[in-house]
This record gives sequence, C-alpha cells and structure tokens, in this order.
Amino acid sequence: MRESLGPPALVVALLVYPFVDRALGLQTVHAVSDGMIYVLLALGLNIVVGYAGLLDLGYAAFFAIGAYAMGLLNSPVLGSPLYGHAWSFWLCIWLAAAVSALLGLVIGAPTLRVRGDYLAIITLGFGEIIPVAIRNLGDVTIEIGTWRPIERLNLTGGENGVNPVGRPVLPGVPFETDPVPWYFLILVVGALSLWAMSRLRDSRLGRAWMAIREDETAADCTGVNPVSTKLLAFALGASFSGFAGSIYAAKLQAITPGAFEFQVSIMLLCMVVLGGAGSLKGVILGGMLITVFDRIVLSQSTFLVRSIGRTVGVPALAAIDLTLWRWFFFGLGLVLVMLLRPQGLAGRRVQPVAADAEGDQPLAPEPSSLPRVEAIPMWLRERMTRAPAAQEEAILDVRGVSKAFGGVVALNAVDLVVPRGAIIGLIGPNGAGKTTFFNVVTGLARTDGGRITFAGGSLIGLRPNAIVARGIARTFQSIRLFPYMSVLDNVLVGEHCRLAATVAGAVLRPPAVIAEERRARERARGLLAFVGLSGKDDDLARNLPYGDQRRLEIARALATEPRLLLLDEPTAGMNPRETETLTDLIGLLRRELALSILLIEHDMEVVMGISDRITVLDYGTRIAEGTPAEIQRHPRVIEAYLGTGYEREPAAPSP
Amino acid sequence: MLELADVHTYYGSIRALRGLSLSVERGEIVTLIGANGAGKTTTLRTILGLVRPRHGTVSFNGARLDALSTDRIVRLGIAQSPEGRHIFPRMSVLENLELGAFVRSDRDGIAPDLERVFALFPRLRERVSQKGGTLSGGEQQMLAISRALMARPGLLLLDEPSMGLSPILVETIFRIIQDINRQGTTILLVEQNARMALRVAHRGYVIQTGRIVLHDAAATLLRSDLVRKTYLGEK
Amino acid sequence: MTGWEVLIQQSINGLTRGAVFALIALGYTMVYGIIELINFAHGDVFMLGLFISLAWFTLLGVTGTLTGWQLLTVLPLVFVLTMLTTATLNVAIDRVAYRPLRRSTRLAPLITAIGVSFMLENVALLWKGPAPIAYPDVFPSFDILREWFGVDSAIFLTSKDLLVVAATLPLMVALHYFVTRTRWGKAMRATAQDRETAQAMGINVERTILITFFVGGALAGAAGLIQGMYYNIGQWWMGYQAGLRAFTAAVLGGIGSMSGAALGGLVIGFLSAWSDQYISARWTNAIVFSILIVVLVFRPHGLLGERTADKA
Repeated sequence: MRESLGPPALVVALLVYPFVDRALGLQTVHAVSDGMIYVLLALGLNIVVGYAGLLDLGYAAFFAIGAYAMGLLNSPVLGSPLYGHAWSFWLCIWLAAAVSALLGLVIGAPTLRVRGDYLAIITLGFGEIIPVAIRNLGDVTIEIGTWRPIERLNLTGGENGVNPVGRPVLPGVPFETDPVPWYFLILVVGALSLWAMSRLRDSRLGRAWMAIREDETAADCTGVNPVSTKLLAFALGASFSGFAGSIYAAKLQAITPGAFEFQVSIMLLCMVVLGGAGSLKGVILGGMLITVFDRIVLSQSTFLVRSIGRTVGVPALAAIDLTLWRWFFFGLGLVLVMLLRPQGLAGRRVQPVAADAEGDQPLAPEPSSLPRVEAIPMWLRERMTRAPAAQEEAILDVRGVSKAFGGVVALNAVDLVVPRGAIIGLIGPNGAGKTTFFNVVTGLARTDGGRITFAGGSLIGLRPNAIVARGIARTFQSIRLFPYMSVLDNVLVGEHCRLAATVAGAVLRPPAVIAEERRARERARGLLAFVGLSGKDDDLARNLPYGDQRRLEIARALATEPRLLLLDEPTAGMNPRETETLTDLIGLLRRELALSILLIEHDMEVVMGISDRITVLDYGTRIAEGTPAEIQRHPRVIEAYLGTGYEREPAAPSP
Repeated sequence: MLELADVHTYYGSIRALRGLSLSVERGEIVTLIGANGAGKTTTLRTILGLVRPRHGTVSFNGARLDALSTDRIVRLGIAQSPEGRHIFPRMSVLENLELGAFVRSDRDGIAPDLERVFALFPRLRERVSQKGGTLSGGEQQMLAISRALMARPGLLLLDEPSMGLSPILVETIFRIIQDINRQGTTILLVEQNARMALRVAHRGYVIQTGRIVLHDAAATLLRSDLVRKTYLGEK
Repeated sequence: MTGWEVLIQQSINGLTRGAVFALIALGYTMVYGIIELINFAHGDVFMLGLFISLAWFTLLGVTGTLTGWQLLTVLPLVFVLTMLTTATLNVAIDRVAYRPLRRSTRLAPLITAIGVSFMLENVALLWKGPAPIAYPDVFPSFDILREWFGVDSAIFLTSKDLLVVAATLPLMVALHYFVTRTRWGKAMRATAQDRETAQAMGINVERTILITFFVGGALAGAAGLIQGMYYNIGQWWMGYQAGLRAFTAAVLGGIGSMSGAALGGLVIGFLSAWSDQYISARWTNAIVFSILIVVLVFRPHGLLGERTADKA
C-alpha cells in the first residue's frame, strides 16, 4: 500500500478549511487542531499496538514526558530558573521526542519479554506512576542529615502544572492565540509523520514487526530478533508521542497532570482499535470519528434529546447531558468492536486466530506447479555451493546434550552428527525427545550440558535468531507461517537476517536501500517459483492449501540462506501425492544445493527412503544409529516401537 | 457397542482421520495400534466429542455421538484415561477419583467403587491424600485408569497406558486391564507398544496416516510380520 | 501518639484494608485461574457492590444505625441481596462480553474488559453523580478498647474493625469449603488445572466458568458492602484504584492461587497503610504499581503460585 498525501481533493480541503472556518465564523479550528494532535498520538500508538502487536495501556505517559520536557526546556516557570533562558521550540520538539524515546527504551528493555497481557498491565502501571511522579515533583527537597543539596526544586509544577510555555518562533508567522498557524504546524507535522510511518511499514523493519505480531517464536526462528524489534517499536512509538506532547504543551500554553491520565491512554486505544490496528488510514479515520463524536456529536445530541424531552414532556430527557456519557460510549465502542469487528473499520484481521479454531479452508485447492531443478534460482545456487575456506566433515556436531524439564529427562547425553551434504533422519516413539532436540539446537531451549558445534562454531547460549544468522533454518511440525501476511512477505521475512536496512534507511530510502529491497523481492520470487508457488505472491498465507503452506515454510527457510535445514515432521497431515512432492523437493535440495538436512519424521516409508543415516531416540536416549536397512532390523529399535513380549508365548485372550 | 463409520476428522486444514472405520463389541478388548502421528489419539478425541468429525458417524449403543457435547457423551457411559495421564496435579488422589465420578447421579455407588479401585490398585490407598503431581509415573497411570473407572463406564478408553513405565509396571497394568475387562468393562485400548496390546486384546486394528490398514484377531496379528513392517516402513 | 501506637493503628488500618483487598483479589484470581483473563471490570463490580448495597438498604427503609435484632436480620439479608446482585452482574458481563471471545487471543477479551469497566464506571457516575456519596452509618460504631475493656488508649479499635473481620472470615471459610468440598468447587479447580481433561471427564466447562464468575462477583459485592459500612463513603471511580491494588495483591500472592490472593490482599493492605503513614498518601499508588511491575517482570508466579511453562 503506497500512502501518498491522499487524493488531491482531500489535500485541498485540508488546506482551505481554516480559512473557510474563519470566513464562516465557525470557530472550530482550535478543537480540530487539538483533535489532530490526538490523531497523531493514535498513529504513534498504532506502531506499538498495530504493527508490533504490543498492547500498551499507558501510552499517555510518553505524551506527558514530551509535554513536560518541553516545559522544562522552554518554560519561564521551569526552564529559565534552571538555566536562565528558554530554548528554541524547534529544537525542543526533537529533544522531547528523544527523551520520550529514551524513556521507552528504559521501560521496554526489562519488560518487553513479558507476555502480552502482563505487558499491558505493566504499561498501565507506568501510565499511573508517571502522573503520580509529576504531581509530586513540584517541590523536591533532598535532605541527607543536615545537608540539603536540593531544596524546593520545581521539576514539574506539581498539581498546578506549568504555565506559560514558550512558543515557536517563525519569522512572519505569529504563534499566538490565532489557531490557524498552529493548525498548519500540526498538519505539516502530521503529514511528515504519516509519510515516515508508511515508509516504516513497507520496509524490512515493518515486516519484522508484523512477523512478531503474528507469531513471535516463528519470527525468532526465522532470524528476527524479537527483543530488539519490539524495543524499536516501543521507542519509536514513544518518540511520536513525545513530539505530539511537546507541540500540545506549546499550543495549550499550559501543562497539567490531569491531561495524561488513564482515560487518555484508553481514548487513544479506542481510536486505534476502532479504526483498525495496523492501518494508517484506519487509525486516522478512527481518530477523526472519535474526536468528532466526542466534541460534536455528544453535545449536539444533547440539544436534540433535550428539545425532544421538552416537546414530549419527559423531564428526565429534558435535563439530560449526553456529554457525561462519553466514557460509556467509548467503553461500549471497544466492546462492540472486539465482539463484532475486531479488525476495526479499515484494518485487516490483526489477531492471529487461536490454534484450534476450525479452519475455513477451501476444499478444492488450485493446482500448484511442482518444484523443478531448472527453477532453482541462480543466486541461491551460488550462495549455497560456494566452498567455504575450511571444510569440516560434519556440519553439525552434537555431543552429550542433555535436557531435563523439572524431574523429567527429555534428552540424555545425546550424540548426533550431520555430515556435510547428508540427509539424516531422527526417529523415535512418542515422547522420545526429538522436538526437544530440535529446540535445543535452534536455541529455543537451553541444553543442560554437552557441546553443539556448527560449522566450527559453538551454538551454546545463542538466541534463536542468532543461530539462524549462522546458517541453521527450521520448519515446524504444525506449520508456523505468518498467517495474515502475504506469501511474498513471508519469504521476505526469511531474508531479514541477510538484509541490512535500518530505521533511518527505512524512512529515508537512500538508493542503497531501494536496491536492496528490489533484490530481496527478486530473490523471494525466485524462491517461490522454485518451490512451485509462483503467482501467489499476494495471497494470504493462511489461505493456501495445506501442502502449499508447507512449501512456503520451506521457501521461507531457504530465504535465510541456511547451510543446515531442520525439518520437523514435514509430511505430517499430507496425502500421498503431497508427500511424494515434498520428498522429491527434499532430495532436490540436497542434490542441487548441497544442503545438509536433519529430518524428524513419523512416516517411516519417507524417512527410510530418503535418509542416508538414521538416529533413533527412545526416552531421550540414543538407542541406535545406522543406515535405514540396519535400523529396520535393529532389535532395540523394534523393541522400542513394538514393545517387549514377543519372547514369551502370547497369552490366550479371555472370551 | 461402539461403531465408527468412515470418519474424517480435521484439525484446521489438516486431515487427521481419513475414512476411519472400526467397531467394538460388548465385552471385548479391542486395541488400536500404530506409529506416532497416525491418528490414534485423534480417534479417541473424536469419540469423546473433543473434536468433531467433518464426515462419518460415531455411534454408541445405537446413539449418535458425533453431534453431542462431551459431557453428554461421558454421561452415556464412556470414560477415558488420557495419553500422558493428565492427573490434576494439585488435587489429591481422592479428589481425582471423586472427580472421575463427577457425572454419576447415584452418589451412593461411589464409595463401593472407591473400594473396588483400591482393591485393584492398593498403592493408591496408601497415597490417598497425596497431591497427584507428586506421584510417580506408574502411580499416576494407575490413578488415571482408576479415575476413569470411577465413572462406572460401559466403555473404557485407554490411551497409551504403557507410556513412560518400566517393563514390570507395564506387565502389571496390562494384567489389571484384563481383570477390568473380565469384570465386565468393554475396553478400547490405544497403544504404541503393539505386542503387549495384542497380547491382551481380542481384536486389533492397525492405523496408519489416518486410516485402518490392518484388522484381524489379535493373536493373528501378533504372529504375523505385517505389524512390524507397517511400523517400520518396510514395503 | 507514640511511634508504637502509630504503627499499631496503621496496622489495624492495614488489616481492614487488606480484608477488602483480599475479597476482591479472590475474584481476580479465580477468573484468571480458569480462563486466563484479567477481568479489568472486576474492581468496578466492587464499586457497584457498594452502590447496590446502599440501594438495598434504602429499599428496605434503613436510613440510620441498625440496632439489636436488626443486626441479625437486616444486615445478613442485605449481604445476601447485594452478593446475589453483583454475582448476577458478573455472570452477565461474562456471557455478553467475554464468552464470545473464548477462543480468541488473550488480548481481545482484555480490551473488552476495559470497555466494560468504563461502561460500569460511567453508569455509576450517572446514577449517583460525580461527588462522593454518603453511606449512612448503618453499623453501630463505638470504641472497643474504651467501652469493652475500659482501656484509655490513643489507638482506635472500633466495632467496625471487628465487623470487617467478622464478615470477611466466614466468607473465606465458606469459599474454602466450597472449593475443597463441593462437587462444583472441585470442578472449578480441575478446569483451572487442565481444561480439556476436565471436559473429557464430563465437566461442563462453560457452566464451571459461569459459577466462577458468580462466586467472584458475590465476593466483590460483599467487599463493596463492607467498604461502605466501614468508610461511610463511596465514589464512582473508586473501583479503578481498588481494582488495581487488589489485582496487584492477586499477582503478588500468585495469580491463580486463592491462598495467594488472600495473603497478597493482606500484604498490600498493610503496605498501603504504612505507605500512607510513613511516606505519603500521594506516593502510595506509585509504590503499589511499582510492586506490580516488579513482580510481573521478575517473579510472575508471585509468592505462592506455581512456576508454570508459559503457554505462548
């Protein structure tokens, strides 16, 4: 979605509006400008809630920080006593944004790893603590014994707030009580913010945010660092809020702690939820609707109902004041949207559907093409087959790895070696520890002991996304795609760890970044063509038939340019035809790309047919290792799968 | 007594059961064996109504189960000892057993059934007020089976009772399974340990990727090599 | 007052606050234990408990202090009526706002709960206005130390303090009995520990959830009535602050654990009273919320809760 400045008619209307208002004497520009600030805040919140999927209930705290930073730097009440002169407005808004971003980092760093609903409460906590601190820091005295280093310091103006605040200075433009210059200032800031945000959304970072929102673990195992990515969203969201807060302070000429309370955070959340989290247009629409509702609809309806009451003769109606009902309506709005249309007015479905919901799959899938040797992209072939400096025999060497959960031993000193370019099968009865083994190798679980060496380097202690960067990719037993992202975007997330664009690069788009994005898209399309999914670039991942989803997951894994591919039950749930296609693809990957593959499978025909060697686990211990033929006759394996008891005479079953 | 006819069960878009049919007659022990991921547990979950089949029927004593809620199905006389046992960890052995009898309307019958269960598994009587989570694997398995028995079911579903148990314990449990059957309970036994299951059962079904591939008297299956080949992927 | 007397007085305050927090916290923890929902509107059910109990008193014609036999008939009657009303309200909220979202993510019902909370607060605002409402002094209040023991002390231990304890303890005992001895109480605990297995044993999960909301709502209503009788004052926004403090108590004690909720309630009660006295009432909220944040980040299972693997 390209977001330009909007259709020309809208632009003209926005530019002309304040003059029309003045001519007609409507006097709505002040209110509309204030509303625009809230919309700007909602857009900032959208980065946190809509893009990154973090529910922030204390967003007003950053608004407050921005406003008070402006006050501290720029107000004769606070600032001047501290350093004798006011700072320039134009400088202060950037400083305020920076301070908010810094606070966002400080708050986010320890807390963002906490899970979603707890995080929401934590942000609410901060949202409460900040106003308390503001109220109480109007008169700070620090006493240590008889030493008073700080005496009656006014940091925030306390309960009374800060008044006045320094105004912007622009030659020729008076920023006084006339609302029009303010309107245009906010309009310009808003337009720039929108532009920056839409740039962010369609960038490497934007895709990373959405991947985390859809499935954080899968994103982690695809090379996206969830901690730093979330932190970036949090800090960026905070910085927009700081911007808005500083402008708000200067416009209003007064900052009071009451303007930053929980209700404000919730009103902003309403705007985002109503409009559609993740959609810029939606959030603007939601913001406008709520502002209009709040400031115009409620008061006008009050007049209407009152006159009806007087006419009909019902005193209760005649005395009603609907503006007192605003929070009831906001609350009702939240409930209704969540129940009836959780994606909001303009958004796509943001919440990932819960795991065991019945699917609404199309029962007749369109036929997709088969992977072909010729379709292997050149770039992939080059990357994979160029010979690294030192050639180890084994690309993955696991020695003595153990893992216990509480008292249960999941892995017991397991050894496993994957030779370069081999396909190794990992099998074992239920609960044998196979997926635990994958989780330990890919960093989702920490081993209790032993060594894990990959291409000469140790993997112990590395985060999953770092392990992906080293060259190990995995698929999951229950396919974990990013369901509400497009097929192409899913593959592009795979390239995340091989691209380099930063926040600045995403917004400013220098030629290097543009070229990088174009190359990334070409590569992604090449991979999709290879696995047989061309032409489905814009389909949502969740709408693909099951077999195609698995192939997409493999394409995404290939996009990370792995040297070792871990496949967890890739043929689970497939019909024989799909299984055969997938088996051929796996063989192709090894033959043509020299990929090493470690494969968990329950379909014995598949694993016996394709593996060079097989390792068998039972109760977390390795009980056998050998070629397929050896394993099929291995007595301990037979015993593990079929059980003991053949040695004795079968007991006669009772009638 | 129990009949599944051409059942197709889906998890989202994954077809877990592809036209599965099996039957259990009153008084029998029937075993359903197969490798992981073949659909054994899905079959039991379909019977219990935890997941609904998209096609096909499930009937119990003539009544259709596939449209009923789980608590109705349990009230009709089916109880389960689930895979992995799923004891309520912070409730005592006694409370677990009492919960097993949750659907029963004859409150007087509960005390004698407790006695019956303690007679089968004396170890549970010793541990009666201990929290479920502190029991050993074998004791938890005994508790899971007893808990299901407390519902005095006509049909008992056992899901992998041998998992995680030592060979001696497995022998004990399977002997007790035969006792339970002799006392009149019909049993559908899902197992990965094919041999033990075939030793105690009357008939056996082998399931592979969601459908039945072998079906015969248990003794016959026990003697043939087909089961091993199916499990270990030999053609 | 001497330093000791201040401490004891504040500790009495802490105890009475703690009892109310514990009752509210139990509702949070029960609902969270069974469906992993932070019922944001629960504090407002407490606030409405106060308002509703006032309405019942008015309906029964009680405007002054109750005497003698009235204490034994009218007071328990109002308890029962209030608790039934708030229990029904809580169940209704679940049916309408939370049940349709059972299979959704964890965040959707939380957002809905916030919406419900705002609606309830606004209803109270419109019902009784923005100013604090006067709750008649229905419970006879006298200084126990002076009148019963003849002790002349700067410490106030009043009959109302006894009331709080006398009302809260039986409720907790009854709850304990319900949860450990009755069929549905056990079903509730089982469903909280393993929902699917509970279902597979014939427990009707939705009905169990309904009962959970019913009991939680009843306790919140009782807490509201006690609050009104003790402090003789109420206001439409009191649910928000009380709710957050009680939620902190539930988290501190170990979310999902009922003894944790009771313990946490007492701890937060004491801490808030001591903070009011020794630091400043202006900072108490910040302190309580800081505790909440620290527990959620560093020890999310609280004091008595179980360390469970995070179901992502």
